[in-house]
Amino acid sequence: MAVNLQVALGRLRLPNPVMAAAGTFGYGLEYRDLVDLTRLGAIVTKSLTLAPRMGNPPPRVAETPAGMLNAIGLQNDGVDAFLLETLPRLREYGAPIIVSVAGETLEEYVQVAAKVSRAEGVAALELNLSCPNQARGGMEFGVSAELTAQVVAAVRRAADLPLIAKLTPNLGDLTPVAQAAVDAGADALSLINTLLGVAVDAQTRRFRLSSKVGGLSGPAVKPIAQYHLWRVRQALPDTPLIGVGGISTPDDALEYILLGAHAVQIGTANYVQPTTALEILDGIHNYLQQHGFESLDALRGLVG
Amino acid sequence: MSRYELPAVVVEHQRRGANLYELILHAPPIAERATPGQFVMVRAVRTHAPLWRRPYSILRANPDKGVFSILYSVQSAFTELLAMKRIGSTVQTLGPLGSYFQPVRAARRHILVAGGVGAPPLCFFAARLAPTLTPDEQLLILAGARRSEMLVGLDEFRALGAEVRIATDDGSQGYQGYVTDLLAQALDDALETAVYACGPNRMLRVAADICLSRGVPCQISLDAPMPCGVGVCLGCAIPVRTPDGGVWYKRACAEGPVFWAEEVVWQ
Repeated sequence: MAVNLQVALGRLRLPNPVMAAAGTFGYGLEYRDLVDLTRLGAIVTKSLTLAPRMGNPPPRVAETPAGMLNAIGLQNDGVDAFLLETLPRLREYGAPIIVSVAGETLEEYVQVAAKVSRAEGVAALELNLSCPNQARGGMEFGVSAELTAQVVAAVRRAADLPLIAKLTPNLGDLTPVAQAAVDAGADALSLINTLLGVAVDAQTRRFRLSSKVGGLSGPAVKPIAQYHLWRVRQALPDTPLIGVGGISTPDDALEYILLGAHAVQIGTANYVQPTTALEILDGIHNYLQQHGFESLDALRGLVG
Repeated sequence: MSRYELPAVVVEHQRRGANLYELILHAPPIAERATPGQFVMVRAVRTHAPLWRRPYSILRANPDKGVFSILYSVQSAFTELLAMKRIGSTVQTLGPLGSYFQPVRAARRHILVAGGVGAPPLCFFAARLAPTLTPDEQLLILAGARRSEMLVGLDEFRALGAEVRIATDDGSQGYQGYVTDLLAQALDDALETAVYACGPNRMLRVAADICLSRGVPCQISLDAPMPCGVGVCLGCAIPVRTPDGGVWYKRACAEGPVFWAEEVVWQ
């Protein structure tokens, strides 16, 4: 039986639902010799800011049970270097490119998004409204429905590209922010970004991260991410959702789709096994064939 | 850049010390391309705890036999899993990765400073360097550890004809004190020298300071928490000087692990 893995997230069309998540796949090219980039549903870039950012002092990462904390601090080369040097090479692989946009101010989000939207070969923007590792901006926007709406609306006006808002889980109920993002013009939502956490080293009697607080990711966060996705799906049944959080096997990804996701992003698992996204893609394909589903539409939301 | 992600077959698993084990792995593409100072990212199991791969410096490589080896001591959940690997089983391996030690051709004496478990990449380096030395070039190994039984690679170094000087914190073998004291003494004469060091970062900092103050070229292999090993996660940031006098971060996994001492900013 032929299986159709294409997905539509509003006006964003992807060849399949398995993407590499922002910040876990570099700018895409870093894995080109280890992963067949042409097969990915999309590559979400590391978040870009207007000027290059140095990021936080080390230590920036700490391993935790079935997960990890990071406080990279949005180190990146800046949007201009990406557009000039990386994008032309990345485009050649043919996978849809989604640029993750970050900023400290509303104006920075708008300026970065406007620059990206003028470049050739970008499929969509993902707004990082939820980075916990910035002193200013990022999660400040993401925890407020009002500020989220302002950023989404301003970027919507400045950039004519499909727009994904990435939500933070670091508030009790995500649905007001989700609703605000959609009302302001987001085509789709990614959820979740990392969860705030700390880790302590009992031997040195210090925090394990220089910034003390970091964002938790990895298999440990999956039930929380799935909970939020399921809740937002109930509140916004017509909004395309992208499930992110602790996905490392085909079943993990299928669980998100059963809960109502249109697509998934693979994050921390890329570090453990660079080929994870492609293994998951093959696994979803086999699952649909074995169980007699012609497309993901038949599967989506079956567990409600 | 040629690197490979593949299941390496365990061909030998040998005890090499009180709590020291050598895992010899068959993985021809990695064995053929491995250069001293480079490392592999090793995955012990498919489950989620421990989650990350671990970086291991390559201890030796035999391209003809398609094998290379890593050295570990059992001290964590991860290394307990490695210890259970039987001959014929596989270990998922990614490498060879990172920068490598570059022989300083102008030097008449090459000093390798090995601190405890930092010895493996220097064993590999010494093995490749020794056959290339001219009769007027010396190879001097300064090996340090907390206690005698924690010294690594002494037999290998001696088998290469290198002079080996030892320092232990407790005086159980050789000089009682830090291996960096031996380095300072060794640099007292006027020989044209190059230094290559691997060990705890605080030892490397002292070694770097000693070399820089005397104008001796020094390469150091730095350790950092390393989730990905291939430059994407930016977790293993090392502060370095930029040409304009500022500070920026390089990645221990990609631009490193071997850095020139003058480049690194110690914080």
